[in-house]
Formats: sequence, C-alpha cells, structure tokens
Amino acid sequence: MPNIPIISGRSGPDDESSLDTGDSEGASGAVVLRGTGIEKAYDSWSPLDSGVDVLDGVDVEIRAGEIVGIVGANGSGKSTLMQILVGALDVDAGSVERAGHVGWCPQETLLYDRLTVEETFDLFGAAYGLSDEAIAEARDRLAERLDFTQFLDYQVRHLSGGNRQKVNLAVALLHDPDVLLLDEPYTGFDWETYLAFWGLTEELTERGTAIAIISHFVSERERFDRIYELRDGDLSVSDGDAGATDSEPDETVEGRATERDHEPNTDPTEVA
Amino acid sequence: MSAETTSGGSAVAGSGADSPAGGTHRERLAAGIAAHVREFLREPVHVVLLLALPPLVVEGYGRAMASFPEFPYMTTVPATLGRVNGAVFAAAFLAGLIGLFQVVSAVQADDRLAVCGFSRAELFVSRLGTVLAVSGCSALVTFGALWWRVDVAAPLAAFGALVLAALTYGLIGVLVGTALPRELEGSLVLVFVADFDDFLASGIVDVDSPVVNVLPLHYPHALFRSAVLDGTVPTDDVLAGLAYLGVLFALVLAAYVRFAGGGEAT
Repeated sequence: MPNIPIISGRSGPDDESSLDTGDSEGASGAVVLRGTGIEKAYDSWSPLDSGVDVLDGVDVEIRAGEIVGIVGANGSGKSTLMQILVGALDVDAGSVERAGHVGWCPQETLLYDRLTVEETFDLFGAAYGLSDEAIAEARDRLAERLDFTQFLDYQVRHLSGGNRQKVNLAVALLHDPDVLLLDEPYTGFDWETYLAFWGLTEELTERGTAIAIISHFVSERERFDRIYELRDGDLSVSDGDAGATDSEPDETVEGRATERDHEPNTDPTEVA
Repeated sequence: MSAETTSGGSAVAGSGADSPAGGTHRERLAAGIAAHVREFLREPVHVVLLLALPPLVVEGYGRAMASFPEFPYMTTVPATLGRVNGAVFAAAFLAGLIGLFQVVSAVQADDRLAVCGFSRAELFVSRLGTVLAVSGCSALVTFGALWWRVDVAAPLAAFGALVLAALTYGLIGVLVGTALPRELEGSLVLVFVADFDDFLASGIVDVDSPVVNVLPLHYPHALFRSAVLDGTVPTDDVLAGLAYLGVLFALVLAAYVRFAGGGEAT
C-alpha cells in the first residue's frame, strides 16, 4: 500500500482541511477530495438524440501528498468527472466533498483571450481573494519556473499553444491549492517544460498537495501513487507502478513509485 | 478552511471554498468589470463599429424615410422621424448585441472564474456592469449622431430615453445569451425581436393594438419622440419604461440563476 509522506503540516489528518476518512486501508495521507456515487448523463431535448450516460456511480478519493492518474479512452468521461470534482458541473446523483482550496487546470485553456498574462493573474488572483502583493509574488515565481516571464505583457490570444498551457497551469497554481486537478496538463509543453512540470508536482506532493492528473493514457506509471481507469462509466483503481515500462491504461500494476525523479523515456508529445 | 460538500442536483460553485486571503466583493467586481471592459475595447472592430454604426444607421434611416409619404398621424417630417427612430434602433440593437456577446463569448472562462472564487452574483453584476458601461457609450455616440442632424428640443431627456432603450435591449441581450448561450442562434433571435419591435413601436406605421404596448421599445420610443420633437417628458411613459426595465431585470436574474453554471461537457 502506498506510504505517502506528509511533510507540510497544512494537510495532515488532523488538519481541518481534511475530510473524515473512515479509512480502512491504512494510508497515511488525509483524504482531501472524495466523490461518492457520482452519476452524470447528458440529456438531449431532441427526440432524435437519446443523450449520453457518462458516469454511473463513480467513487473516487484523493489524499494529501499523493498523485493519482485518471485515464480512459476518448469520450470515457474523464473531463466530465474532473469538472464535477472541481465544481464546474452539477452531478445528477452522488456527492463530492472537498477540503481546502482546489486548483483546476482544465483541458482547454479557459482564459480571457484579450487580457494580458499579467492581467489574467490579477483577475484570477482577485477571484482567489489574494492580495496584490501575493498575486505578484506567485505570478513572478510561476512565470520563472515555467519559463514565460518574457510573455507577461502579451495578450493571451497572442501566445503559442504551449505558452497558453503554461499560463493555464500557472493560474491553477496561483493560490497554492491543497488539491490540484489537472486535465491533460502537459499538452503542448516542450521537453524542458515537461520536466519542469514533473519537478513541480514532486515539490508540491512533498509539501502535502494532492494532485490528480487526467490523461488519455499514462506512459510513466512510476510517477503515480494510484491510477484510476474510467471505463463504461465506472472507475477502477490500481496502484502506481514501481518499475513497469510504458503500458496501456487497462494494465494493472501493483506497487508504489520508488524513483520519483525517474526521467521519462518517451517523447512528451506522445503523453499529451 | 472548512470542508465543502456538494451533492446530487445541487448547484455547485466556488469549489475553492473560502478565499485564502479574503478579498471583498467590491474588489472582485472592480477587477471583473475592468477585465471585461478591457476585453471589449481591445478588439478594434468593436470600437470602430461602436463609433461608426450609429451615425450610419441614423443617417440611413433619415435618407430612406425622406421619400416616405407624410401621413396625417405623423407629427414631423418623415426624414426627421426616420433619424429619430434610427437613433433608438441603433442604441438599442447595439446594446442588445453587446449584452448577448458579454454573456456568450466567455461563458466557459466565466465558469472557471466561478470555480476559482467569483460568486455567480459577482459574475452576473460584473457582466451587467460592463453591459451598462458600453451601452451608455453606445447611447452617447448615437445621441451625438442625431444631434448633429436634428434639433433636439430637450437634450437631457432625449439622452435619458436613449439610455433607457439601450439598457432595455442590453438586458434583453443578456437574457437571450443566458437562456440560449450560442452566438449564431442568439444573434438571430435578437435580430428578429429588435426588427419586429422597432418597426411596430416606432410610430412610423399607425398600429392600434395592445400588443404594441408590451413591446420593449414602446416606451423608449414614445419618450424619445416627445423629448426630441416636443421637449416634453410624459411621466406615465417614464414610469412605465422604468417598470418594464425592472421586470426585465427580474427575468434576467431568474434566467441567470436557472441557467448559468452547471456548464456542459467540453
């Protein structure tokens, strides 16, 4: 069973930013996000269209300091699940419990095209309730880390796809969330940014941040504590990989990552 | 920080729970309105159209109506009546389109902002504030275009009537955009409603039907004609126009609460 270190005290089991786990599996990280019995269907008003059942009683749990993957085929409902988990979409049935602050990096860069990058941070920082000083500090730190400092005064619509995605990710990180939900976060990243991204996630999990990453498939299972697979509206879980090679999502591999700084052996564009 | 639970069918917003460092409604509203206005002004085509369309419409209506026969029910020459009606239509329709696109164009980014901590009410007010600001500019430009060609008997009252027309259609645009958040379909609805409304409410044709009294532009048209041509401000029309605006606001609010958020799959 994964042994998840909690270095930062902010999300420990006794912290008020944790949910009462009732855990029987003995994991050390407090549950910070839990979805129970989530059901979702897209109904159609048209008699010619039958609508789509997407999620059918999904249970999901994310703990402080762990990184989980959520994989599934195209159209399996991954993005729908993530939107429900962050609160952007209503559930038909079931419940979602969140503890602490949630950061959401959607698959599409949902930003305002005609604002500059700097103004984008100001707006989302205001939404998070951050002070001007805190926004400026976080913006500069993230811009340097993800290498987009030179684009801070560019309008979002004038950024390349990769740089838009960097800003998209940075907006999710701006308020130092307790839970980070990332939907295909490294789409369009160059190799250096891809590595910087994983370095960043490692630092965050060491500080107690819970991270969930959605992808079509996971090429580096060793980076994940657990991997959920969404298929036919249901979610099944397997532990992350302690040393397996790249694999398709339906291959269940036991064990916890032992070498978190392992270099990826595939082109990042294949991951995206 | 406290745990937050949402369950089946409930509206879900602001999953970011409490703001980490507080932040007031006023600060968020100011940030929202400033961002939305910047977005509008940074599209040069928007600004050009805002400045160019009102004079074109006012003058176009006037010239087209110049050859219209003078019927006994008309209180002024057709060309002037055309310019007066063109002004109301320009101010109202531009504001309607602005309202529609304020709601539709960034609906998904707004959803993300809501997840990040903006309340739906703050989003609504910031969008509405932007509509009001830009609609006010639209009314001002339109009024200037009319004043250049027509002697206005009561300028302040006339400008007020144009603002009323703009606000009325700004809200209609928001209402259409909220209930039907699609650019093409929303625009089509607005085009047909505005054309129908303006044609019947303008007084160019003498329509005696109670239906005309409930059209959105009925009272703004009546007020504007009175102010421009007679220099009078009928109190009944003012009150009725404001009451209409109030009812429309309530409808917009109800539609926003009903339809905004919850989103669609992306």
